[in-house]
Amino acid sequence: MSTEARKDTGGAIVAAILIGVACLVLWDTTSYVDSDSAVFPRTFSGVLITASAAYIVVWLFGRGEQLSITESGSTIRRLLLITIMIAGTLAMPWIGFIPASLPVFAALTLVAMYDPWTKFRLIVYPIIGTAIVLGFYYLFSKALLVPLPTAELF
Amino acid sequence: MPGLEYLIDALTPINLAFALLGVIAGTVIGAIPGLTATMSVAVLVPLTFAMPTSSALILMGAIYTGAIYGGAYSAILLNTPGTPSAIATTFDGYPLAKKGEGNFAITIACLASVTGGLIGAVALLTLAPPLSKVALAFGPVEYFWLAIFGLTLIAALAEGSLLKGIAGGALGLLLSCIGVAEVAGDVRLTFGFHTMLGGIQIVVALIGLYCIPVLIDLVAAPGHHLNVVTGASGYRLRDAVRYLWGDKFNAMRSSVIGTIVGILPGAGGSIASLVAYSEARRTARPGQIYGKGEPGGIVASESANNATVGGGFIPTLVLGIPGTPPDAVILGALLVQGVRTGPSLFTQQGDIVYTFIWGLILATILMLPTGLLIGRYAYRTIITLPKSLLVPTIAFMTIIGSYAISNNINDVLIMIVLGAGGWVLARFGFTPSPIVLGLILGPIAESGFVQAWTIGTATDDRMGMFFGRPISIAIILFTLFTLLSPIVLKRLKRIKEQAHVD
Repeated sequence: MSTEARKDTGGAIVAAILIGVACLVLWDTTSYVDSDSAVFPRTFSGVLITASAAYIVVWLFGRGEQLSITESGSTIRRLLLITIMIAGTLAMPWIGFIPASLPVFAALTLVAMYDPWTKFRLIVYPIIGTAIVLGFYYLFSKALLVPLPTAELF
Repeated sequence: MPGLEYLIDALTPINLAFALLGVIAGTVIGAIPGLTATMSVAVLVPLTFAMPTSSALILMGAIYTGAIYGGAYSAILLNTPGTPSAIATTFDGYPLAKKGEGNFAITIACLASVTGGLIGAVALLTLAPPLSKVALAFGPVEYFWLAIFGLTLIAALAEGSLLKGIAGGALGLLLSCIGVAEVAGDVRLTFGFHTMLGGIQIVVALIGLYCIPVLIDLVAAPGHHLNVVTGASGYRLRDAVRYLWGDKFNAMRSSVIGTIVGILPGAGGSIASLVAYSEARRTARPGQIYGKGEPGGIVASESANNATVGGGFIPTLVLGIPGTPPDAVILGALLVQGVRTGPSLFTQQGDIVYTFIWGLILATILMLPTGLLIGRYAYRTIITLPKSLLVPTIAFMTIIGSYAISNNINDVLIMIVLGAGGWVLARFGFTPSPIVLGLILGPIAESGFVQAWTIGTATDDRMGMFFGRPISIAIILFTLFTLLSPIVLKRLKRIKEQAHVD
């Protein structure tokens, strides 16, 4: 086996996790009543296991292919983005579409803000945000007739 | 040219107005991630019931063609394909926009879309009956192999390791199995979560896997989303025309590929644009580096996906088999109007069908000025909007767009979780394109696979069923060529270099 430094250990770990996912799929197929439902997921679980295992072997021989992604930036802002989006989505059925969307828009504006808050921005940004939320609300609910969530609490 | 006498009917002010309105509406709708061509056509179907049949068809066809082009805006400016057929547009469109050439990329996309759209529509006008026979030559096993061919193409084309691409494609196929099985009705891979019963909607995955990672990276650091090259403003129409003329064989070949793939029901623009992109990359001239911002990649993808519009109408009108999902909606509207599709449509109701085809050609031509105008506006909006407004706006669009697919909050949650997961996978070289394409092609692949498996089992000739039919053998050979050619070429290059050193 090559003594060359192994590149892309993260990729090999993800490949191992994917093998686990494929095994989970194989286990799930044992509960199907009709064998027609199982044949396709079983076949492609096999493909996933083979491709992932082959990548792990490639990695063991020191030939892993690492993408040149340099990690930088604020992890906290990334986590806040996802958290706010999930929280806003969960709140929609309870407090309604517009009452949930306006705070989400405001919070995301704060998370993405790198420039100093001037008087102009303090006045104009909330107006633009409200206009965008209301604009999309009318486009979807009135023009495209999409039934947007209404408040269950009130 | 057949049906030339109906050109005058298509040129009436009302039909022209419908064509223009349809193209504008379609372009705007297609540019918004989550709003698909199918949805936009479906929403407008009830409005068309009171219209003359040919005008209704022109409006729906114009929306459809505009939406397919509109998908390029978000692919180029946000790295998020507005429609599945714009996946290949992201490969070179976004890198080109990142370099500060976003306006050039959008103009190239517009010109290529018009070229592809016209070639597809002319094929519909002149060759519809003979070409429709292609659709009938494909059985379930051929569709299965076609889906696998599409997946190997994207595994080979996507950045990074081929093995990771194959694993991503297989993962996408497995994700497409979540929910109630179409073939036998078993509940699969939900692990007790009712949220997962409906499965993963394709557009939800498309938004999550492409758009959320862009947002995660956008929010993490200051600085502009796209670079802006000073002194290179405006439409850059002259540069784009010059480039397209130099790359005319790519545009023509991609349009022909798009037309032929469009004829195959279910295959659609995503496979067409990938096959065309693969061919463009394979025949690249020296100096053309695909995947790093090569305009030829946009030409291939956009001309192919717009050519599928005309191609998709061929089996729809001649055989009554919709080529793509929007075609299925339009077919439904035609049936409501009392139009009987079939080979006799062109002779018995030529006034309707030829007026519609000319209307589609006019709508495609109108896409040039409207597409350039809307594209420039979209580009200027994206580069001038401060990040603190761009991030919440895109995030808000992803939420409302994924909700609107089936009016379900669970889809939004799935979108966000998939997006965060996709961002993590991309860090380790598992790019989103194979996963998304696996999800898109999963239902076609499974239906073909299970049918072929059942027939093969019943006739005790499974191997012959999968590997013994002429079209299947041809597709398998193309698939093997796609998978093995990069490895063989790399090996040959190494041997050549070694010989040179020696």
